[in-house]
Amino acid sequence: MALKKPLWKFCEPNRSYDAVVIGGGLHGMAAAYYLARDFGMTNVAVLDRRRMGYGGSSRNTEVIRANQRAPEILPLYVQSIRLWNELSAEVEWNFMVWMKGLIGLAHNAAGVNSMRMRHATQTNLGIENHILSPEELKKLIPALDTSRSAAIPIAGGYYHPPGGTVHHDAAVWGLMKGLHRHGVHLCPGVDVRSISIKNGRVNGVEAKVGGNKITISAPLIHMALGGWSSEVAAMAGITLPVVTLPLQAMVTECVKPFLNHVVVSELYFCYCQQSIKGDLIMGAHLDPWQSYRSYNTYEFAAEQAYFMLQLFPDLAHLKLMRSWSGLCDMTVDGAPIMGALPIEGLFIDAGWGYFGFKASPACGKNMAELIATGRTPEKITFLGMERFYEGRMVPEVYIARS
Amino acid sequence: MGFQINCPNCGLRDVYEFKFGGEAKERPGPDADIRRWRHYIYFNKNANGLHEEWWYHTAGCQSWIKITRDTATNRVSEGENI
Ligand SMILES: Cc1cc2nc3c(=O)[nH]c(=O)nc-3n(C[C@H](O)[C@H](O)[C@H](O)COP(=O)(O)OP(=O)(O)OC[C@H]3O[C@@H](n4cnc5c(N)ncnc54)[C@H](O)[C@@H]3O)c2cc1C
Ligand SMILES: [Zn+2]
Repeated sequence: MALKKPLWKFCEPNRSYDAVVIGGGLHGMAAAYYLARDFGMTNVAVLDRRRMGYGGSSRNTEVIRANQRAPEILPLYVQSIRLWNELSAEVEWNFMVWMKGLIGLAHNAAGVNSMRMRHATQTNLGIENHILSPEELKKLIPALDTSRSAAIPIAGGYYHPPGGTVHHDAAVWGLMKGLHRHGVHLCPGVDVRSISIKNGRVNGVEAKVGGNKITISAPLIHMALGGWSSEVAAMAGITLPVVTLPLQAMVTECVKPFLNHVVVSELYFCYCQQSIKGDLIMGAHLDPWQSYRSYNTYEFAAEQAYFMLQLFPDLAHLKLMRSWSGLCDMTVDGAPIMGALPIEGLFIDAGWGYFGFKASPACGKNMAELIATGRTPEKITFLGMERFYEGRMVPEVYIARS
Repeated sequence: MGFQINCPNCGLRDVYEFKFGGEAKERPGPDADIRRWRHYIYFNKNANGLHEEWWYHTAGCQSWIKITRDTATNRVSEGENI
């Protein structure tokens, strides 16, 4: 039976709003969602050049976790896992949150030591994590080759129970549903071309809709543009400490369930998880040069297949079904840029590179608080752009591309 | 598909033979303040379009070259030997 009421609707933007979000990915939509939910700000539009979720938000490999390195950011990840879990009930929509646990593999002593260090930080912050021996790993993942003769020997690892996956399309649709319910405007096909600034304050944007040029006025503008952040920030005369690099991922044919966790090799930058359908989602390869073009290379598929076969020899002969890519906005310290900008009324949430999916709801919640109240929430105080001028880097590390 | 770079010494070669050296930027003078230096080191134009940049031909002539590439299409114009 067809639904009588649509779950969401799209519209052309009005000529004026209390706040405008540029970028209809999960970060932008989450910010708009919490502006409405927590602060009653519903005269808001989310503008996207293409469609909601066109960028990293529906290209990512769905991994969530709360165990990266920097203690400055960990509370944000913890909050995010909580919010992912709350959203399904709140929006009455299944986000398919699956806390199946994340297992990290180390292949040498240095890797094990780095895991121990992060383990101590996490334990301090009350985040569940366990250090495992190769024998314990073998018990959790029977298909893993832990033999000493393996080409990629396994020296140890960790088990992080709060990690897992959230279905990325379900997340995009769920937030669209939530936004529509609050009366926030979802406006795809709106290509923002300039940001207007008067006396040091933003007062709106100019955009192309179809062949037409429109202006939308708003005293508050939030930029959540993933790989395109530099392009749009430049419209406000702002240069970012970001480069845009292309990231590739791929998926195999479906097989019977055999892999219960997300498994990440931290040295070889590859990871794998089996979806509920049975296919294996694998990533990821970051080409170390700037590019706004999405492409896939043989080098990636060959390298990924090689590492996966060393870890899981039984996967030999499994067919690859698809590969795809997306853009990653990378900062030098590996940490994001979140906060107010030197132009009054202008905000940014960027630099999430290949690891921003998991953080989307918490980013939205904290940015919404900043936008609505003008006060920077504690969880994002370390993440402002000024840190690059002040030499206060946040020591995040690019541990695994998940 | 990746793309190819036309090395002035070696000719058209696969991009994976090279190491990316970043955007060609204007270096601040020796007496520039620390803020200018940090801007130079950490901040990027990150253009979606024509881009002047450095590459090192690791698997070839082992020299630095400067090229102009369109980051939207990855089309490369002629390289210049430095
Ligand atoms: C292959 C791959 C795998 C990944 N895997 C993971 C993972 O497992 N776990 C994880 O946590 N993270 C992962 N990530 C990272 C994650 O996808 C991103 O950090 C996250 O999606 C960023 O979300 P966003 O909303 O900020 O940006 P996006 O989702 O990229 O949204 C930006 C939006 O801005 C729009 N836009 C651009 N220019 C304009 C304009 N001028 N006007 C209007 N709109 C504009 C775009 O159309 C786009 O929809 C992965 C990324 C990739 C590419
Ligand atoms: Zn050469």
